[in-house]
Amino acid sequence: MEVKDIVDLKTVKTNMNAKTKDEVLNELAHLLLENGYITEIDGFMRDIYAREAEGQTGIGNYIAIPHGKSAYVKNIGVAIGINKEEIPWETLDGKGVKGIILFAVGNDNEGANSHLKLLSLFARKLGNDEVVKDLLHSNSSADVMEAFA
Amino acid sequence: MKIVGVAACTVGIAHTYIAQEKLENAGKAAGHEIAIETQGTIGTENELTKEQITAADIVILAADVKIAGRERFEGKRIIQVPTEVAVKSPNKLIEKAAEVVRNK
Repeated sequence: MEVKDIVDLKTVKTNMNAKTKDEVLNELAHLLLENGYITEIDGFMRDIYAREAEGQTGIGNYIAIPHGKSAYVKNIGVAIGINKEEIPWETLDGKGVKGIILFAVGNDNEGANSHLKLLSLFARKLGNDEVVKDLLHSNSSADVMEAFA
Repeated sequence: MKIVGVAACTVGIAHTYIAQEKLENAGKAAGHEIAIETQGTIGTENELTKEQITAADIVILAADVKIAGRERFEGKRIIQVPTEVAVKSPNKLIEKAAEVVRNK
């Protein structure tokens, strides 16, 4: 498997019109639920917000990486949203965010090492300015996947 | 110069690896040799070798949690910062490291 295989076209949404963090997180969490990554929205969101409370997940360059380990995660994966306008978020550079990558990782990841490894390589790519630029310019799920290829 | 380091964040899923990528890119761009070990949910990866540590001019620890094997760096010059510093200002951090080495 390659890094881009972490991206599931069904859990990617581009040209979003969300106005708030809550709105975008809810929309992305629903995609994760509909596609079998998580078992429940409420519990999963509580775990995500618990991590949000610990420190900024906006890493600068209009990117946010909400994440947390949650017992409500069935399969490791990510949901990706590209919003048209900047959304207010707690970020390292004080700007808002347009690209939101919501990580779904379980508490118990036994037997999931190959997936975790892939996820770590995927996360690493978010530290690369070229990847981020391509990601933010994505107009379709396929563009998003291509950004990580 | 030669830089080694460790990245480790609280959850061990995202910041650790973003910090690694940013530091390695910033280090290479400034003409240094750099290797960053990651300690995350998946365990330790890109583990630093004894030779790498011995040869290093400086150690950068980008960590929000206690790192494993800190004793490996005993006697070396160490810069310790939270992962978000490495994520936010990798170039500045590398400059700072170079400065510390110059002023030794």
